[in-house]
Amino acid sequence: MTAVLSLRDYTLDYLTGSRPLRVLQDISLDIAPGEVLGLVGESGSGKSTLAWAIMRHLPKNARELTGSIRLGDTDLCSLPPRELTRIRGRRIGMVFQDPSTALNPTLTVGRQVTETLVNNRGLTRRAAWDLALELLGHVELRDPDALMRRYPHEISGGEKQRILIATAFGCRPELIVFDEPTTALDVITGARILDLFARLRAETGVAALYISHDLALVSRVADRVAVMKKGRLVEEAPAASIFARPAHEETRKLVAAVPRPENRLVHDRPGERVLLAAEAVSVRYARPRLFRPPPPPATHAVGFDIKAGEILGIVGESGSGKSSIARALTGLAEFSGGIRFDGRPIGSARDMDGAYRRAVQIVFQHPDGSLNPRQTVGEILSRPLKLFGTGSANLNAEIGRLLEQVRLPAAYAARWPHQLSGGEKQRVAIARAFAAKPSLVICDEITAPLDVSVQASIIELLLALRAETGAAYLFITHDINLIRQIAHRIAVMRRGELVDLLPIDAVDADHVHPYTRDLMAASPTPVG
Amino acid sequence: MSASWLLRRLALILYTVFIVSVLVFGITQALPADAAVTLLGENATAEALNAIRERLGLGDPIWWQYLRWVGHAATGDFGLSMRTGQPVGPEMLTALGRSLLLAVAAILVMLVIAVPLGMLAAVRQGKLADMATGLISYLGVSFPEFVTATLLAMLLADTLQWLPATGYVSPLEDFGGAVRHLALPVLTASLILVAHVARMVRSETLDVLHSDYIRAARLKGLPERTVLVRHALRNALLPVVTIVALDVGYLLGGIIVIEEIFAIPGIGRQLMVAVTARDLPSIQAGALIMSATYAVANTLADVAYAVLDKRIRYD
Amino acid sequence: MTDLLRRLMRTPQGAIGLILLAVLAAACLFGPWLAPHDPEKMDFLGRFRSLGAQNWFGADQFGRDVLSRLLVGARSTLPMALAATLLGTVAGAVVGTASAYLGGRWDEAIMRTIDAVMAVPGLLLALLLVSTLGNGAGNAMIAIAVTFAPGMARVTRAVALTVRGQDYVKSATVRGESASWIIFREMLPNVMAPVVIEATIRVSFAVMLFATLSFLGLGAQPPASEWGLMVAEARQYVHQAPWILIAPSLAIALTAIAFNLLGDGLRDAMNPRDER
Repeated sequence: MTAVLSLRDYTLDYLTGSRPLRVLQDISLDIAPGEVLGLVGESGSGKSTLAWAIMRHLPKNARELTGSIRLGDTDLCSLPPRELTRIRGRRIGMVFQDPSTALNPTLTVGRQVTETLVNNRGLTRRAAWDLALELLGHVELRDPDALMRRYPHEISGGEKQRILIATAFGCRPELIVFDEPTTALDVITGARILDLFARLRAETGVAALYISHDLALVSRVADRVAVMKKGRLVEEAPAASIFARPAHEETRKLVAAVPRPENRLVHDRPGERVLLAAEAVSVRYARPRLFRPPPPPATHAVGFDIKAGEILGIVGESGSGKSSIARALTGLAEFSGGIRFDGRPIGSARDMDGAYRRAVQIVFQHPDGSLNPRQTVGEILSRPLKLFGTGSANLNAEIGRLLEQVRLPAAYAARWPHQLSGGEKQRVAIARAFAAKPSLVICDEITAPLDVSVQASIIELLLALRAETGAAYLFITHDINLIRQIAHRIAVMRRGELVDLLPIDAVDADHVHPYTRDLMAASPTPVG
Repeated sequence: MSASWLLRRLALILYTVFIVSVLVFGITQALPADAAVTLLGENATAEALNAIRERLGLGDPIWWQYLRWVGHAATGDFGLSMRTGQPVGPEMLTALGRSLLLAVAAILVMLVIAVPLGMLAAVRQGKLADMATGLISYLGVSFPEFVTATLLAMLLADTLQWLPATGYVSPLEDFGGAVRHLALPVLTASLILVAHVARMVRSETLDVLHSDYIRAARLKGLPERTVLVRHALRNALLPVVTIVALDVGYLLGGIIVIEEIFAIPGIGRQLMVAVTARDLPSIQAGALIMSATYAVANTLADVAYAVLDKRIRYD
Repeated sequence: MTDLLRRLMRTPQGAIGLILLAVLAAACLFGPWLAPHDPEKMDFLGRFRSLGAQNWFGADQFGRDVLSRLLVGARSTLPMALAATLLGTVAGAVVGTASAYLGGRWDEAIMRTIDAVMAVPGLLLALLLVSTLGNGAGNAMIAIAVTFAPGMARVTRAVALTVRGQDYVKSATVRGESASWIIFREMLPNVMAPVVIEATIRVSFAVMLFATLSFLGLGAQPPASEWGLMVAEARQYVHQAPWILIAPSLAIALTAIAFNLLGDGLRDAMNPRDER
C-alpha cells in the first residue's frame, strides 16, 4: 500500500542575517492510509516548520535544499501556487492550535464553513449549508442552525474547535494536519475534543499528522510517534512502546519529563503549624459604575490554610479565580474576608507590613514580564536584599550565591533580561523571591509557558530550594499530573468557588466533587 | 450596541462641548487682563473702552459672563459682530456649510486615493509599489498645508494656468465653476490626509494579512482573490473609519490655512478675519462651532464603527 | 548613549535623519558665520537674481541672499520648535503619568477632559492662544506647547498604564517598594522610550505649526528670516522668482522629514527586545 504522505531527505534552511539557519535536516517519514502519526518535540525542534512545509506555507526566507514531499503520487514541492490551492483543504486539511484566531471575526460561522465546502467540494451554496448543518450536528454541537448564524466571538473556544474539525473532516481530505489542537483549550474541553478526534478518525479512516509538545497526549491518540530534536527526526516507534522502551536520549528525556501522578517527588509530611489561613476571601475587580451593572466577583468566600513547609496546589480552569487568590494574598487585589499569617490577622493590603511582604513572595507566570527590561540581573536581585536587609555586607557575593542557588553562573549578574532564555528568566525570578528568605512562595502558573524538560528542571529546583530553606509553596497550576506529583493537598476551584480541598491521596476517592472527578479524568496520563 | 452606550456617548458629547466652551471663553475673554484693551488696542480712549465694557458686560463676575454667553450660544445667539454689526451665528453657520463642502470633498478624494494605495502597498510589501507609497507618505506628512497650497497654486494656477488660483463659487449657481474653484483647495487638503491615511491603511492591512485567520483561510484552500477581498480587505477597512475621524481635527485645522490662501469664505477664513480684526464674538462663535463639529464627527465615527464591527459589544 | 547612537546609525531612517539633523544643527549654531552674505543686506540691482555663483539659492525681492537668510533663519525656527515640544512633552508627561498613577475615577475624569480639549483642532487652539497673548515668536512657542500637551498626556498615560500592568511592577509592589521607587526606577525608564519617540516625531509637527503661525502673520514678525514668514512674503513674487518660495518651503519640509526619520529610527533602535 502506498503512503498517503511521504517525505524523503527533506532539508530546509532559514536565511537569517549573516548565515543560513538549518531548521530541518534529512527528514524522512511516511504516513500510511488511515494511520495517525504523532510528532513530538520541544519548542524550536522544527515540528511546526515541518507542518508548514507540508502545507506549502513557508516564510519568504525559507530555502528548501534537498528532498521531496509527496502526497500520494503528487510531488508537493514542485506544485505552482494555483495547483496548491486545489490541494489545500481538498486533499490536506489542517486544524490549528488556537481556534479563536483561526476564524475571521467579522464573518458568521455559517458563511465560513459553507465557503470552504463550496470551494473544496464543489457544492452549491444551498447544498453546502445543509451539509454544514449535518456536519455540525455530527460533532455534537447543539442547535447548529443558530450556531451558523453567530459570529466567532459569540461562541466558546471548544465550539469553535469542533466547528473547525467538522469542516476539515467534511472536505474529505486524505490527510489532516493537527497542530496542537487542544493546547489553547482548558483541560476538560480538550479531553472532549480528543474523544471527538478518535471517533471521527474511526469513522472516516483519514490519515493524520498530530503535532504536540505533550508526549503523554500524543501516545494516546497516535499509532506511531516520531520525536524531533533540533530539526532532526531522532526516533520513530509505535505509540504503545515508546514509553516502555525509549531508544534515543531525547525521547528518554521527554519521557522522564512527563509528570506521572504515581511518581511522587515529595515524600515528607508538612508540619502542623498553620502558616497562613485565608478566611472567606472574596475578590471583586471592578466597582459598579454609572449605566453599568457590577461584574460577578472573581472569587467568592474562599477559605483554606497552608501549613509551614507545605505544598498546597490550587487547580482549576482559566477564569476559575485561582490567580485572584494569589493577588489577594499579595495585596495586588482588594479583597473582603480575612487572612491570618503566623497568627496575625490581616484585613487588607494596608495591613501587609515589611515582615509579611518579606515572608510571602510570589513568582509570576510570564518570565518575560516579571523582570524589568531596563535593569540587569544583578540590580534586580540586589533590590530585595537591600530592602529586607537579608543580604550580607558583600552584596555582590550575595548575588553570586543567589544565582548559584538557582543553578545559574555568577557572571549572569551583569546580563540584561533580554539576553536570557525563558527558563533562565524564570530562575532569576525564583532567585529574587528567595532573596527575601521567605516562608511562603506563591507560584502562579510558573511552568505553563515552558517546555516540558525545562518545566521538570524548574520543579526540581523548587523542591531543592524547599529542602534547603523549608519554605511552603502555594502552587497554582492547571497541570493536574504535575501537581499530583508534588502537592501535599489540592484545592480545586471552579467559577470563583472552592469546590474541593483534598489530601493528595484522596483525589481519586469516591466522595470527591463531580467536577474534581471530571478534572482528574481529563488529564491524560502516559500509557505504558 | 445598547441604549445605555448611546446615552453615554451623548453625555460625552455634551461634556466635550462644555469643556470646549469653557476653553474658548477662558482663552478669549477671561485670560486677558482687560478684554476691552485686547479688543480695541492700547491706544483706545477711555470712553470707547468703557462703552465696550458696558456692551460686553465685562464688569460682571466672570462666571456670570460665561453663563450668559453659553446661554445665548445655546439658542444660536452668539452676539453681534464687532466688525460688521451683523449677528455672528447665521454668518458662521453659512461659512461652516462652505467649509464642510470642502472638507467632505477632501475626505472623499482622500479615501479614493489613500485606501487603494495603502492596501496595494501592504499586498506588495517590500516591492516597488510599497516603497513608492512609503516615500509619498513621508513627503506628504512633512509638508505643512501652506507650503503644499502655495506650491500647488504656483504650479497649477500660475505656471500651467489650468485652475483658478483663488475664489469661491456656489455649486448651486454654477456647478462647473464650483468644481474648478474647489479643485486646488480640495487637492491640498486631501494630500496630507492621503499621506497619513495611506500609511495607516498599509499597517492595518499588514496586520490583517499576517493574522492567523488569513493564514487559516489560505490553508483551507480558498483562492487568493477570495482571501484578499472577502477576508482581508473588509477587516482592514474597519479601523480606517476611526483613523479618518481623528484626521478630521487635523483637516479642520488645515482648512483655516487653506481657506485663507485660496480665499474661500468658509469658517476658517471667517476666523482668521475675526482674529485679525479682534472681533471677539466671531472668534468665540467660530471656535466653538468648529470644535463642536469635530466632536460630532468623532461620535458619528464611533457609532459607524460599532455598527460595522460585529466583534465589539457595547453594553 | 553611544550604544544607542550606534544602533540608530544602523537603521537607514536613523542614519539619514541624523545626517539631516547634523546639517540643521550646524545651521543653528554657526548660521551667521556660514552665511556667504549678510542676510539683511539689500541689493536693488540684484533683485530676483536667479540661482548662480553669486547667490546659490538666488536673491529675493530686496536682493537679499536667500541661502544666507535660510541659514540664519534656522535659528528662529528650530530652537522654538524644540522648546515648544519639550515644554508640551514635559507638561503632558506629568499629567499623563499622574492620571495613570491615580487611576479610577480621577483617571477617567482627567482623560475625558483631555479628550474634550483635543476636540479643538490644534491649529485653532494655537490661533486662539496667540490672538489673546499677542503675536510673536515667544507666544507662538507657548501656544504650540499648550496645543501639544493633551496629546502627549494621552500617549504617556497609555504607555504608563501598560507598564503599570507588567509583572515586574507588581513584583515591586508586592515587595513593598515605595511609590517613588516604583514610579522613578521601575516605571519611568520603561515609559521614557515611547515618549521620547513620540516627542521626536512631534518636533516635525511643531516646526510645521510654528511656520504656519508665522505664515499667517501670528508668529515671527518681519524682518525676521523665519522660514514660514519667508514663504508668506515670497508668495506675491512667484512669477518673478519661484526660488524664493521654493527654498524656504523645502527647508521646512526637510526639517520635518529629518525629525520624522529620526523618530522612526529611534523606534527601531530603542527596543532592546528586538535584538535577539
